[in-house]
Amino acid sequence: MVIYVFDGSFEGFLTAIYESYYNKEKPDKIVAMDDYVENLIDRPIFIETDEIKSDKVYAGIKNKISTNALKKVYHVFLSEVMEAPTVIYHYLRLGFKIGNKVDLNLMDDWVLRMDKINQQVASEKHRMLGLLRFQLVENDLYYAPLAPDHNIIALMANHFAQRMSDQKWMIHDTKRCIAVVYDLKEWIITPIDLPAPPVGKEEYLYQQLWKEYYQSIAIKERRNPRLQKRCMPVRYWSFLTEKK
Amino acid sequence: MDILDKLKILADAAKYDVSCSSSGSERKNKAGGIGNAAVSGICHSWSDDGRCISLLKILMTNYCVYDCAYCVNRVSNSIPRAAFTPKEIAELTINFYRRNYIEGLFLSAAIMKNPNHTMELLLKTVTLLRENYNFNGYIHVKAIPGADGRLIEATGEVVDRMSVNIELPSDEGLKLLAPEKKKEALIKPMGLIDRQIIQRKEERRIFRNAPSFVPAGQSTQLIVGATQDHDYRILKLSEGLYNRFHLKRVYYSAYVPIVNHPNLPSITNPPTLREHRLYQADWLLRFYGFDADELLDEAQPNFDQLLDPKCDWALRNMKLFPVEVNKAEYETLLRVPGIGVKSALRIITARKMAPITYDGLKKIGVVLKRAKYFITCQGKYYSDVGFREKLIRLSLTEKPLKEPTETNEIQLSFLTMPAIRENVNSIITGEL
Ligand code: SF4
Repeated sequence: MVIYVFDGSFEGFLTAIYESYYNKEKPDKIVAMDDYVENLIDRPIFIETDEIKSDKVYAGIKNKISTNALKKVYHVFLSEVMEAPTVIYHYLRLGFKIGNKVDLNLMDDWVLRMDKINQQVASEKHRMLGLLRFQLVENDLYYAPLAPDHNIIALMANHFAQRMSDQKWMIHDTKRCIAVVYDLKEWIITPIDLPAPPVGKEEYLYQQLWKEYYQSIAIKERRNPRLQKRCMPVRYWSFLTEKK
Repeated sequence: MDILDKLKILADAAKYDVSCSSSGSERKNKAGGIGNAAVSGICHSWSDDGRCISLLKILMTNYCVYDCAYCVNRVSNSIPRAAFTPKEIAELTINFYRRNYIEGLFLSAAIMKNPNHTMELLLKTVTLLRENYNFNGYIHVKAIPGADGRLIEATGEVVDRMSVNIELPSDEGLKLLAPEKKKEALIKPMGLIDRQIIQRKEERRIFRNAPSFVPAGQSTQLIVGATQDHDYRILKLSEGLYNRFHLKRVYYSAYVPIVNHPNLPSITNPPTLREHRLYQADWLLRFYGFDADELLDEAQPNFDQLLDPKCDWALRNMKLFPVEVNKAEYETLLRVPGIGVKSALRIITARKMAPITYDGLKKIGVVLKRAKYFITCQGKYYSDVGFREKLIRLSLTEKPLKEPTETNEIQLSFLTMPAIRENVNSIITGEL
């Protein structure tokens, strides 16, 4: 099998798509460097990230397919699901052939896979908009750690920049060691390696109040742990104030 | 009393109000302010009963001058009492909001002194939040029956949703269990709110900056199982409320036996299955174009415990089936058991490209467990028991449904269901 290996960045991936159109050897798979395991049968082609090429593909998706498709491609890419780059590749091949009608092809396996992964990313993002917990730490900073399945913090940033526009905050993906930081004007995304900062007395009080509220609001006669766990998977609990 | 004790008492007293929806409003943040509303609503946690927590749901106070039999706060009940100040509520709301615990506030109150005094307190609190704290998140407030119309109007200008809880579905029920409440007094504020909503919408069409009035609409709650009222009566009432007052939601709350009273039924468990059936039927009214009279009548006034209302209806109307998925209109597809808004939309999209096969249906995610008995695919009928009402009924009811809130709940996607503006994952949607 021919495998295109890219550096893991979105630009690197788009470059791989570019190459797939100009290289005689078409990829059977496209994988990120971190997911690539060398073996005797497969033939890797290492893609060198090239901004000009990636920009061309970026514009191509937008103009020849649709803005919506571009958004979908980006979200599926952020899923970090191993097969995602390959799924996107096939989706784009169809897309460049038939244009903006591509998403109507519900019977096509690749279009369906795209939809499914896209949905997973969107639903985790939506879920985390609710489950994220800020803590007030030093310097009036509201700090929120999380470890999502997909690489979603960039997708969450706008929501909080609008909503919490008058407070400084940081959303820290502890799994990927990156953070979105907002300074009352704009947000940036940055690599970060930081232990959880300590919290003060005021923070402690509100955590207590929230835990108390959480207990009081449940109707004991209607306990339903299965439903609770399905709506709020246990893997997210370690970051939830009320579940600590 | 410190704030922690107050919170314990006044959250506990508010928990039987099931509404926790934060959807339907598009309120934007202001410069230097905090908060906005998310139109699809956001759940921030799920409590041990599996219900979504979206709002800080508390009573302003549980001191009450009334004596409704079903209610823990009734004056004759000896329980610890407490009252928040407006400032305490504002501080709690803001600090919970900054930590992303909540979408906003749902403020209700028992009747302290009299309706006007209570409504004034509520108005004062929400005004404080909006004006002094610059809070633009979601606020839902109770309209207190019997309070001055001007107070209710002023409150509506500040908040996102208002509700008046009817609680007991009939006059007889009210007389028996809440003798101080009159149906007219409950209906009056609803009419007032509805007229204001309509009027303000008109004004905003002309003057973009005219103040909004409860942009997320009004809702109410009905208690199920505290009175003799059957499902048909309850559903007719809901239908009337939707049609007459354009309510956004009617919530149903299975009666939880918390108090003993000679006029109350003695039951051990809240009738949650019945509540679930009502949510399913309510969904059929709001999104699927059904009338209450199609689902129930005087001869069959209660829902079948073993069949959901849509299956039950379909089995009584076999002459309308099977329908061909490649031809049926959207409205017809929606009436097929097992096919919801999402599936119907996908079928319509998919068949534009090519005729859909039976396997194709599975592929695009249509669940055929129930649907297969009521459809044909390119002219072919796929059920293993043939198109026979008795056998289909048997296959659909073979196993009694498990605890409904656990098995029947269908995840709604906020992306694919533009028509539905309620919280995702809400257990009280009842989509079929
Ligand atoms: S008026 Fe409201 S709070 Fe007071 S007893 Fe009746 S239902 Fe309870």
